[in-house]
Amino acid sequence: MGLEAIAEHNGWSIALLGICIVFTGLAVLSFSISRLHKLLNLWDNRHGAIRRIRKGFVSSRNQGPRIMVERSAESLEETVRQYHMLVGTLTDPFALPDLLNLAKKRGLYHPYSTVNDLIKRGYIQPDQKGFFYWKQQTLTKK
Amino acid sequence: MQDLLMQFISNTGFALADYRHLIMIGIGMLFIYLGIAKHYEPLLLVPIGFGILLGNIPVFKGLGLGIYESNSVLHYLYFGVTSGIYPPLIFMGIGAMTDFSTMLARPMLMLLGAAAQMGIFLTFLGALALGFAPNEAASIGIIGGADGPTAIFLTAKLAPKLIGPIAVAAYSYMALVPVIQPPIMKLLTTRKERLIKMEEPRTVSKREKIIFPIIGFLLCCFLAPAALPLLGMLFFGNLLKECVVTERLAVTARNSVIDTVTILLGATVGASTQADVFLTPQSVGIFILGALSFGVATASGLIFAKIMNLFLRDKINPLIGAAGVSAVPDSARVVQVVGQAEDPTNFLLMHAMAPNISGVIGSAIGAGVLWSFMMN
Amino acid sequence: MPVDINLLKTIPIFEDICKINLHKLASIIYPVKVSEEEVLTRRGNTATSFYIVTSGNFMVFFKGGRSFTLHSRGDVIGWSSFLTPFRYKGSSVALTDGEVLCIPAQKLLRLIQENSELASKLIQKINHVIQNRLPLANGQPVKDEAAPHTA
Repeated sequence: MGLEAIAEHNGWSIALLGICIVFTGLAVLSFSISRLHKLLNLWDNRHGAIRRIRKGFVSSRNQGPRIMVERSAESLEETVRQYHMLVGTLTDPFALPDLLNLAKKRGLYHPYSTVNDLIKRGYIQPDQKGFFYWKQQTLTKK
Repeated sequence: MQDLLMQFISNTGFALADYRHLIMIGIGMLFIYLGIAKHYEPLLLVPIGFGILLGNIPVFKGLGLGIYESNSVLHYLYFGVTSGIYPPLIFMGIGAMTDFSTMLARPMLMLLGAAAQMGIFLTFLGALALGFAPNEAASIGIIGGADGPTAIFLTAKLAPKLIGPIAVAAYSYMALVPVIQPPIMKLLTTRKERLIKMEEPRTVSKREKIIFPIIGFLLCCFLAPAALPLLGMLFFGNLLKECVVTERLAVTARNSVIDTVTILLGATVGASTQADVFLTPQSVGIFILGALSFGVATASGLIFAKIMNLFLRDKINPLIGAAGVSAVPDSARVVQVVGQAEDPTNFLLMHAMAPNISGVIGSAIGAGVLWSFMMN
Repeated sequence: MPVDINLLKTIPIFEDICKINLHKLASIIYPVKVSEEEVLTRRGNTATSFYIVTSGNFMVFFKGGRSFTLHSRGDVIGWSSFLTPFRYKGSSVALTDGEVLCIPAQKLLRLIQENSELASKLIQKINHVIQNRLPLANGQPVKDEAAPHTA
């Protein structure tokens, strides 16, 4: 038992040599891999042709089709009036879920798509801090 | 009639059971519970847990039922463990499902995998100090590699009697990686170090990914020929994956083959864990050493990463050193979780896969080295 | 039913991913039609799926009432699938009828582990989303240029 047992079975040598062999093996493999892509490049360049493929990250957002509820000017005016009244009872700026809950409680028709429509038309605008405010627009007939 | 009834009753498990069977059955049920209810490595713990139940039903010897009886079904299935067939097949599946790109893009991270294998050899010394024979100590030491198949492979060659407790210890600690590693990681790193964001690795070409398994196999097996069964199958599986023309074979290797072998290996290893071998002071020593080896391996990888940072211009996040233990991909996920706890936008998973994978190679080399030392 | 690879090519988050990886992604992604007022994610639930908008309009809202709306093809919902503790930080609801692509988080994570090229590209893009939305989710002040677009 104890350190004598380790020495008796040559434990220190085995452990030290084992660690060194594992390290050496992985270090050699690591070095070989680090040269591999350079060797492959040299091989490609042997005819003087260099081909690089770069793919960069390009962020672009495709605008999906806008889904706007077709409303007549009169019904839109009425909708705007109703929601303006609701917004008036909320804080300024207001939380959009609060507006939706209020609209549902008041029994308004399709509150979610209506609010979406108002956002698209610019009546409800984000304050970029997670809340929204009402911006009165000039109604245009469609 | 009464004699027949008494004879029947005396052959039932109820008559043959003693308290040790009940303890082992309890342990089996605990493994199943941990796997199903807690989601701790269910693919391993559920087969092993049920295997423990299989192996600890009290049976009348001589009927060809027990796993150690030469004409039993379980014994035939167990042959894959004792002969070392199952672990290389699992390694083939691991090779077929692993992308070595992050390791190829930044080869220096392989040294973290090498550092973590210190756990194997330090545990080997600890086992010798506790009075285990050298071949047993080598089998116990390999638990520090955090690689179940490698542990089973080496133990089957060097100390077959200890397969049960060593396999259970190895797989248990693999399942507990998310519990064992984070405290060590937080202890050995500062917040500033944990926040380090690593640069994006370069793109690795298809040719490199195809050539690497061939070069890797040749280099590693020339250095440690005893690692041939494990590393040969690992690199073979990876070549099947990367060369694309054998995609069907790669899909089979990483799905059907590895799942089938995992079922058989888990169940038979569990069944081999019988009370007279498992419930001994030796097993307690194995479990304690196993836990220490995991800790040492994690700490070695972390500390080596910090040492590397002294010389590197582009610093590496030292947390990825903990992924040098070869519990793929769990320890890489643990690094991800610990890193994201400090900065949710710091995605370390792919960086951690590099030392994680090299840990698999390193533990296989370590097993080969220990086997060759013990053979002499 | 798996999604068509040609559809994936038109989505910004997948636009520079090679054909082989797109096929792998297509095998785990499936389209889901949603109706107005349908809930996709609930704050606090386990983040099992990640969604990409292909059509329709959605609102994502957090504790405290903060919210933002999504109207563009390619917008993502459910980035908490990538962050511990893998629970949705916000609830999301469809403002109009539409369709999303659903990606089971576990399958995506496994694909990412097996394929570092794909991982690198996807994670860059998802990180961008996370950086923009995390302040809102945590109730922190948001820089104007970091806030998500609505319309």
